[in-house]
Amino acid sequence: MNNDRTRVPIESEPSRTQDPADKRAQRRSSAARGGREGLVALLFLAPALVALVLFRLVPAGSAVVTSFKSPVVLAGVSSSFAGLDNYKALLTSPDFLNSVKTTVLFVGIVVPLQTAVALSLALLLTRDILAAKTWRLFLFLPFSVPLGISPLIWGIGMRPDGPVNAVLTTIGFEPQRFFTSASQALPSIMLVVSWIGVGYWMVFLIAGLQDIPNTYLEAAAIDGAGPWSVFFRIVLPLMRRPLAFVLVANTVANFILFAPIQALTSGGPKGSTDLIMYDTFEKAFIVGDRSAASAEVVLLLIIMLAIVIVQFRLISAEGTT
Amino acid sequence: MTTMDRKRTFKISISQVILTAVAAVVALLFFLPFAWMVTSAVRPGEEIFRFLSPLSVYSLIPKTLTAENFASLLNGEVGRTVFNSIFVTALTVVFGLILSATAAFALSVLHFPLRSAVFAVVVISFMIPFDAIAIPLADTFRAVGLQNTYAGLVLPAIANGLAIFVLRQFFLGIPKEMVEAARVDGANWWTIFSRIYVPLSKPALISAGLLLFVGQWQAYLWPLLIVTEPSMQVAPVALAQFVGQYQSNFGTMFAGATIVSLIPAVILLSLQPYFVRSVSSQGLKE
Repeated sequence: MNNDRTRVPIESEPSRTQDPADKRAQRRSSAARGGREGLVALLFLAPALVALVLFRLVPAGSAVVTSFKSPVVLAGVSSSFAGLDNYKALLTSPDFLNSVKTTVLFVGIVVPLQTAVALSLALLLTRDILAAKTWRLFLFLPFSVPLGISPLIWGIGMRPDGPVNAVLTTIGFEPQRFFTSASQALPSIMLVVSWIGVGYWMVFLIAGLQDIPNTYLEAAAIDGAGPWSVFFRIVLPLMRRPLAFVLVANTVANFILFAPIQALTSGGPKGSTDLIMYDTFEKAFIVGDRSAASAEVVLLLIIMLAIVIVQFRLISAEGTT
Repeated sequence: MTTMDRKRTFKISISQVILTAVAAVVALLFFLPFAWMVTSAVRPGEEIFRFLSPLSVYSLIPKTLTAENFASLLNGEVGRTVFNSIFVTALTVVFGLILSATAAFALSVLHFPLRSAVFAVVVISFMIPFDAIAIPLADTFRAVGLQNTYAGLVLPAIANGLAIFVLRQFFLGIPKEMVEAARVDGANWWTIFSRIYVPLSKPALISAGLLLFVGQWQAYLWPLLIVTEPSMQVAPVALAQFVGQYQSNFGTMFAGATIVSLIPAVILLSLQPYFVRSVSSQGLKE
């Protein structure tokens, strides 16, 4: 495929490159058409802007409002202002603190693990090996399985009498309980999401590796640099941007992980897989406490924004080096 | 064998063979669950667990091939949900592209007050993952009667900030001289948009379309929240509920899983470069 034609020109700057004559022409006509162009812009923008505000910003705002109200106990009785009560209750609730702990543990293991495996595979599959494209395809394939479906396949595969246990017993291990064991459920979920995620993140790292100019690597080879020093001195620094993207995007994705938990464990056994997004869902629809759920949504949004700020920091820090 | 061929075969080094073997083993391990899903879909349901102990070739490869799982799936309730998934995703891609492209055109070509403020709204909106605000939004949707409707399933997904972002970045690369020339010729903004920008932006439209497609096809939490009527559900959620209800009927489940996985697999694998560029653009500095 022709790279130049398919490349989205992400680096181009808004109208900074206009020549002076162009700008003069714009200024001259802007008085006459300024108002009309604004009106045209409004018509072009309105549908998307209304949708973004209604379906993204307003619900975030309404979560903030609800989080400061007392829970509705009786139908028809409107709730009153409760100040920070919902947050206080949440932050002292062992269930919620367990969710936070479990989520941090989960993200803290799964993100570095997936990134390391994805990077290793990306390095392997950009070497001169046979049928590299086929192996890439196989690794990416799990991502195309919808998020609601892959937990089903693994749930059936890891049943007590399923094929995973059949393999384990054949090679001399005891059959395992996986999703029904408090100690194995979380690692089993990690396995499922890594099956989905590793090949997906790998694709972005492969794209990053292919952007490294060959001349750098050739020059290093001429200077007699070994594979490790090439990796740490050349490849890794040049991979900062794709790696930062993968780390941040993967962290966000796992922080709000929902489908595998809902489909496989419902947060159990004994709260061992009660990740924060599932906990919020449970509060809202099983417990029915919208106020607590909203406070949890707000905390989740704050965490998301913090991650986004870190992302911008990572990227702009790179600009200065 | 020609000398050329012999030379090439000779050039395969030991390390190349070892690395290829490692890659093949890892790739096949990742492929195995997918393969198991497909083979379980084309064999009779009662065969799925029959050949597991002891393990044999028939553990994975069907002894008897059958299409009965697909037939019973498509005749049953789940068949309709596959249609729902396709229909809802098609609507999302079409309307999402119209909304995103017009907004991107305004944000890259037209001059108006508060342009950077509007752009900031777009960026913030795709930095907030949709699932995080799905629960409060679902309450609003139910309050206005959008539960169990196609509109309820489609509307939140057509507001895609990243799709707008990707299209805007592409539009910025189209020379402004073309706009000026068209304006001199008396073209209005809609003509400039539909006759110049849209035809020139096929790669970006494919990228944005893929984002919308993946976003909707992968959706799980939102349909779960907004649909209670089984006939209105999308296939992935319906299949998950199906497994809960009919513990034994795994053949049909695998047939459904295969259908809803092969559709995105074919689309994503054939258009992968577009998808990678569009998703990774959010990680780059504006």
